[in-house]
Amino acid sequence: MPAPVLTRTLNPPRPARVRWGEGLPVEVDGEGVESLRESWLVEDRWWTAEPLRRRYWELVGERGRNLVVFHDLISGRWFLQGP
Amino acid sequence: MRTYVRMVICVYLPRFELTAAAGGRSVLAQQALAGRALAVAPAVGSEQRVGEVSGAAEACGVATGMALGEALARCPELVLVPPDPVRVAELWETSLAALESIGAAVEPARPGLAYFETDGLTGIHGTRDQTIAAARRALGRPARIGGAPTRFCALAGALAVRSRRPLLLEGAQARRWLAGRPVGLLGFREETAALLAPLGRLGVRTLGELAKLGRPVLSDRFGAAGALAHRLACGEDSPLAARRLTERLAESMEVGDASSGIALQRVLGVLVDRLLARPERRGRTLRAVTLSARLLAGGGWRERVVFRQALNDPERIGLACSVRLLLLPAPASALALSVERFGPPANEQGALLDQSRAARAARLREAVAQLRAVAGQEAAMRAVCVDPDSRVPERRVVLAPIPE
Repeated sequence: MPAPVLTRTLNPPRPARVRWGEGLPVEVDGEGVESLRESWLVEDRWWTAEPLRRRYWELVGERGRNLVVFHDLISGRWFLQGP
Repeated sequence: MRTYVRMVICVYLPRFELTAAAGGRSVLAQQALAGRALAVAPAVGSEQRVGEVSGAAEACGVATGMALGEALARCPELVLVPPDPVRVAELWETSLAALESIGAAVEPARPGLAYFETDGLTGIHGTRDQTIAAARRALGRPARIGGAPTRFCALAGALAVRSRRPLLLEGAQARRWLAGRPVGLLGFREETAALLAPLGRLGVRTLGELAKLGRPVLSDRFGAAGALAHRLACGEDSPLAARRLTERLAESMEVGDASSGIALQRVLGVLVDRLLARPERRGRTLRAVTLSARLLAGGGWRERVVFRQALNDPERIGLACSVRLLLLPAPASALALSVERFGPPANEQGALLDQSRAARAARLREAVAQLRAVAGQEAAMRAVCVDPDSRVPERRVVLAPIPE
């Protein structure tokens, strides 16, 4: 009997290697950043024991694709997340 | 030897839209006698400019197309009449049908302005004067009438005449007469209306002065519009393009409490069903329809809906029209749907029972089963929006299994 299929989230964050430059990311997983499109802050669930604080960066890579990365302001780690 | 002379008749009904919106000539006359300045208010959602204005408003310096703020500044007692495109269209259709009832092939320019040729009509009514008299009788309302060899010249005649007697011009006499007319007449043609301001700055006042400038010069300065303006000033114009006679098919309904929202959409559904059930349709599809409404607060609303392809499916017609219904500016008291153009008769034969949904579901089940057999259980999932407005991207959509 096949194992049951479970519900899962779409577009989960994946750990990323981000090199920080002059006030913005300059390299994401080895790909240089061509330009910055937008940046925004998300603060959510601050009333719970597991608050969420992220600084998002929407960037254009040197290969021309959109990159959405965020800096987890609680753990200090960087993550890549699709647009 | 007989000489054939073409004669175009221009019928001009002054302030047609204002009269219709104000509730008829008697109401307008009462208001005019009371010395009130009237203007058609801007339509909801359109540029804030007044429509046609009454004589009293003109005396205060208010002109058609003037910005609303400027009009009110010039004439603080200006009374704004809500626009009523539905009533305008109805009355104009009645007027056109009246002209066509005497045998005229009519070219409507805009509400209140139409042209027809007297060729052939003199055989029915006698002389030109008798033809014009027949047109006046059919219209049943005062009209300014001008006649000339071309459309533009006839319009100039109709605008110049102030009495009930028509102004008829022929041949070289028409061209000479036209030369003394103001260049502002070009404003009645959409293609040349934009030339008025630059011509005014250049000091060109009459059509004769414009004609003397020469076609190459005007064409060089203003392009095709300049060449057309010169042709018009010289008494030339394109032939009339009479409208094709079409049968009118319309359904309307008082909506009562269902003046907006989903209830009004149900009314629309009923109108579509009624329209499609009319025997006069003779199986033809609908290419374009006009959706109109009379508003509770006064005035009307009108929207033309052209389908991508000719339809006779009530569901698709209702869907296309309901999108336009959302543009309704205020609650409606009556809704109407009329056919503007028919398409070819429907020749598609549908199935007796609608099995498309079941067939689609069966194909989808088979595809999912094949995909899972090839790539595993998680190869086919369904995206379910759980919190589409969430600021955290991973919370917006989840992947759920597709049931067997």
